[in-house]
Formats: sequence, structure tokens, C-alpha cells
Amino acid sequence: MESWEILLQQVINGVSLGAMYALLALGFTMVYGIIELINFAHFNIFMVGSFIAMWVMQLMGFTGQSHVLYGLPLTAMLVFVLCVTMVATGVLGALIERFGLRALRGVSGTAPMITTIGLSYILFNVILLGAGADTKNYSNPMPNIRWEFGDAVLHLRELILWGVSLVLMLALHYFVRRTKMGKAMQATAQDQEAARMVGVDVDRVVIITFFIGSALAGAAGVIFGLYYNYTNFGIGYTAGLRAFTAAVLGGIGNIPGAMLGGVLIGLIESLGGQYLAVRWTDVIIFSILVLVLVFRPTGLLGRASPTKS
Amino acid sequence: MKQSRHTRRAFNFAAVASVAVLASVAGISGLQAQQKTIKLGITLPLTGADADDAAKIKNGFQIAIDEANAKGGVAGYKIETVVFDSATATAGQYDPAQAATNTKKLVSDPAVVANLGPQMSGEGKAMTPILSEADLATITPSSTNPDITNPAMAGTFKPKGKAIYFRTVTTDAFQGPNMANFFAQNLKVKSVYVLDDSGAYGVGIADSFQKQAEKDGIKVLGRDQLNPKEADYTTILTKIKGLKPDALYYGGVAQAGVKLAKQAYDIIPNMIKGGGDGIQGGSFLKGGGFPAVEGWYSTNAGPHLTEDPAAAAFVKTYQDKYKDVPSDYSITAYDGAEVVLDAIKRVADSGKEVNRANVRDAMQTSNLKTLQGAVSFDENGDIKDRTVSVFQYKHDAKYPDDDLTHQNPYIGVAPQS
Repeated sequence: MESWEILLQQVINGVSLGAMYALLALGFTMVYGIIELINFAHFNIFMVGSFIAMWVMQLMGFTGQSHVLYGLPLTAMLVFVLCVTMVATGVLGALIERFGLRALRGVSGTAPMITTIGLSYILFNVILLGAGADTKNYSNPMPNIRWEFGDAVLHLRELILWGVSLVLMLALHYFVRRTKMGKAMQATAQDQEAARMVGVDVDRVVIITFFIGSALAGAAGVIFGLYYNYTNFGIGYTAGLRAFTAAVLGGIGNIPGAMLGGVLIGLIESLGGQYLAVRWTDVIIFSILVLVLVFRPTGLLGRASPTKS
Repeated sequence: MKQSRHTRRAFNFAAVASVAVLASVAGISGLQAQQKTIKLGITLPLTGADADDAAKIKNGFQIAIDEANAKGGVAGYKIETVVFDSATATAGQYDPAQAATNTKKLVSDPAVVANLGPQMSGEGKAMTPILSEADLATITPSSTNPDITNPAMAGTFKPKGKAIYFRTVTTDAFQGPNMANFFAQNLKVKSVYVLDDSGAYGVGIADSFQKQAEKDGIKVLGRDQLNPKEADYTTILTKIKGLKPDALYYGGVAQAGVKLAKQAYDIIPNMIKGGGDGIQGGSFLKGGGFPAVEGWYSTNAGPHLTEDPAAAAFVKTYQDKYKDVPSDYSITAYDGAEVVLDAIKRVADSGKEVNRANVRDAMQTSNLKTLQGAVSFDENGDIKDRTVSVFQYKHDAKYPDDDLTHQNPYIGVAPQS
């Protein structure tokens, strides 16, 4: 491999990782933006999403690479699996908000955050006990289509990953900027009391935020499974921590920031691994995070919130 | 009024409790009149990424114990087991801290006279200081890190001086280097990239492989470390692809190994790939699956046994009882349990008290004919036999995909240095 081929390949690897982190980071950032809560249950909603998608595909008769689909049937199948999973994890997120966190809203201090850690462990253990501890071979209906640029390879699954992430992020951006509900979200984020005064149903806004954030985590779970061809009960931790870091790097509470942060972390991971060493990955990522926060405490795109003192 | 009700309740509770205690004491002494009982510990990572291999080992122990009990016990003693799981959900595989906690519980039970296990050297390193203080010997059918029995590190791993870590397999002082010889002599490998999974076993075997590879004239193009909880190894595999070594050697267990195999199949499909006994077994085979594991070489730190005629009866018993095929380490586990049972018998026959110290001393002087041949130990607890066997995953459609014996056929003995 020539050095430009290696660089190209590592950029492809990094962007793929980054797209997944970005999807996952959006959920953190949306919830934080609205109610200033770091939702650690998000880690494992992502993990549950990968299991739900696997079970849906298994119910449809896809195990391992038993059936390979092309063209329209593949698209239809992936869209269907994504929709089912996103609705299921979205509902899970909404339930967590309604029954786990609403009662704690307005409680100051760390109690709500600790509650999300507890909820995260509950999800983790439910899957551990229900599905077992072993690594599952993921259902994979995608053909092994690849394009070669010299020695660098781009797979169909990478294109699908980028495409799905991009579409979901654009849809989210449009939703927040253009729809009435989106505007209600922005209003709630800026000032809950004032939003309530002008007639925004804050409870509804919060629960919808959880629904959307968790649905995106579910989508990331589907993509994870299809991309790496495995899942187990423990995948939430590493990916979740990286995504959280991405959200902070981009500026927590800021949606474009989460996307930028995700892609940056992905690229740092792959290029750092190539030109330094894989064993230093975490050191590199967190050093950069610390440096950014020292010089820009609100993250790359974050702005100090106007209403919070 | 309130006070007296409390007192009465406390009295009632005390009365019930004392009756229960009396009843249980009577129960125990009644049992003891029939047969004396001694306990053996079993410590393995029964959940997590290596669960399948651990189950194969546990079944090996269990068959030996069941056979002994069916014959009326060992020298009149009925053998009971106390089983501990040393894997945790947070680690996703064996967890040294959990292994240490379990060992503390184990040594606090005076009826336990010896332990069977662990599977992993990472567990072993955490267990040995506690075992040594308690004079409780253990025998491992699969843990191969040489540090644990290295006399130069006795201060760390056997502070009381006597060997307490016995093995029915050899160590990575031979497993890694012999595989390097196999790479150089049999596969004509000229350059290699070495990875480990940051565990005690993985780092150790990768180090010993690398050292011998350099001696054999193989150029080591690089060495890196995987985080076993990480999902993505495409970065390091792309780097390796760019360096174009003849071969990749992975020192580590299944958690990282499975993901490495899946992604390597895509990125470096034609490169020679191999590892140690950490990827020799059902966990790697089932988790990785074909075609990802196709072509991977693996080793065992002992002779190949499951197809040995001497073990045929054992293999049949195993298959009937557990509806699964045993691994070679099921047999070294069976042998290990046999060594312990034989030691208990010799202590009892000599008229000495069956306790930890005496069982340990008897294990040290073992010379027992087992399924793998005569087993005896040097003064550090290491087995005297130093065979390392090589296998290669090769899909055989005639047999089930998880049939280890047929999907991972034996190639031969790795060349000694």
C-alpha cells in the first residue's frame, strides 16, 4: 500500500466510526440541551437497539449471512429494520423519561444523573440475563460489494452507514429548525419557565426529546451490528463513552457540534492508530478533549448558554 | 408496651433461630455419620467471552469428581464442589478482581482442601498470593503464563514459598516460542506483526513469541496492543495491511480475538494468521464463525488428546453427558482433578489428616498415569512434559459448525527450540 492509500483507507475507517459516534452523540446533546441532564442510560439504549434489530432480522429468517439481498429488497429490509428498532428504542427512552426521570425533574444536584446510571445498569443486566453473555454473530443480509481505489477499499456497508447517518442528521436538523415542535424544543432549551408561559407543553417537549434521542441511539445500534457483524451486552460502554466525549468536544447541547465532534473523534482514533499506536488511542482522544476544554470550555461549537447563570 | 412487644418478638426470633440451628447441626452430624465430606473449589470465568471454553473445562473436572463419588468417594470421603464464576459483566470476560474476591471466600471455608482452576493466567496472578497464604493448592488445566510459577517471581506469586500453582499443561515459555519456530520452519514466515489483548496471558505469550521469532530470523515489523472492549480494529488492521508482513500473531483470548478475526477476514484475508490457546476453542470458533476463522492457526500447551485412543472412553462419556464435544483442555481438566483426587487418597491412606497442607505436599510428589500420560511436577509446580500442539481452523461441511475436533483439525507438534 502506498502512503496515500493508507491515508485514504484510514480516513474511510475514521469517518465510518465517526458517523456512528455522531448519531450516538446527538442523543446526549439533545437531552442535555433541553434539561441539562447527562443521560447515561443512552449507552445501553444503543446496545438494546442492536439486539432488537438482530431479533427482528432473525424473526424474518435472516441469521448470519444465510440470505443476501440486493437492490430494492435490501433497501426495503434495512428501512423496515431501522424503523422498527428506532420506534422500539424511542418508546424505551420515552418510558425511561416518564417513569424514571420525570419525578426527579427540578431536583438539583446529581440525583437525576445517578438515576440514569442505575437505569443504564438495569438495561445492561436485563440483556445479560435474557440473551446471555456470549458474543452474538449478527444477521447480515448485505452483499460484500466493494470498490477499490488502489489498495484502499470502500465497502457497501460503509456507504450505507454514512448514508443513514447523514439522512437522520439532516432530518433532525430540519425538525429542530423548521417544525413547530422543534421550535418548542429550542424555546424550552433557552428558558423552561418562559416557554411554559407562552404555552409550550414542557413535559411533552421533554418526552419527545427522549424519544428522538433514543431512536437515534437505536439506529446507531443497528448500524453497529451490521457494520461489525456482532453484538453483545457490553458494547454500550466503549462506544457510549466515545460518543459522550464527542458531544462534549463539539459543545454539549449543540446539535451540529455533536456531529462535528463525532467525526473528529472517529478520525483521531483511526489516524492516531495509524501514525502513533492503537494502544494510545484513548490517551490521544482524551488529551485532545482536555486541550479543547482548557481553551474553549464550551466545546468547539458551543456557546455559553444565555439564560443559565 | 412498645418496648415489651419488641422484646417478645426478639425472643420469638431467638427461639426459632436456635431450633433451626439445632436442627441443622443434627442434620449435618447425621450426614457425617454416613459419609465424611471434603470440598474442592472450582474457579472459572463461566460467563463472558470465554464461557464456552470454561464450560468445557468445568465438565472435565465434573466427570472426574462424579466418577470418584460413584465409586463411593475417595478413601471414604464424598467430594463436594464449591463453584465460583470469575467473570464479571463490566469486564465482559474474566476479571482478576473478581477472581481475588472468590479466592478469599474459598480460603475462608476450612472444608476446602484444594482448588481446580483457574482458566486464565490473569485470574491466576490475582489468586496465587491469597492461595499461598492459605496453603491451598490449585491445579490449572489451561493457564500458561510462566510468571506465576517462575522462581524469580516467587515473592509475588507464592510468598509462603511452597508451590501452590500446579499445571497439567506447559507454559508460554514454550507455547509462544514453539509457535514462532513453527512459523519460521514450517510456514517459512519471514516477517510478522505481533498483537496482544493487554491481558496477563496475552502480553506474556506475545512477548515470548516475539523474542523467539527474532532469534529465528523473522523480522518483527511492529507490535501493538488491543483494547478488548473496543469494537473497531480496522485501524490497526489497515496499518498491518500497509506494512505487508507475511504473518500476524495474536496473543490473547476470545473477546478481542473474535472481533479481530472478523475484521481481519475482510482486510487481510490472505495473510497467515495465528495465536495461542486463547483462540483454541469453542468461544473463538462460535463467536468468530466461518468464514472469518478459516485459516487461523492456534496452539495448545499440551499434547493433542481428544483424538487419542487413550481418551476415547472419556470423550464418549463427555458427549453422552453434555451433548457437546470436549476440548483438549477438558481432558487436561479431567487429569488435573485426577491428580488432586489421587493426592487426597494418598494422604488418607498414609494416615495423615486430609488438610490443605498435606494435600499440597502430596500433589507436589504426584506421579500419576492420566489420560495425557504420566503427570509429575517440578519444584515450581510446572508439568514436566513440554509438548505444544498446533491446529488450524478449516471448515468441514460434513460436521456441525461448532464441532471443535473437526472444524479445528490437529496439524502436529510445534518444533522445540
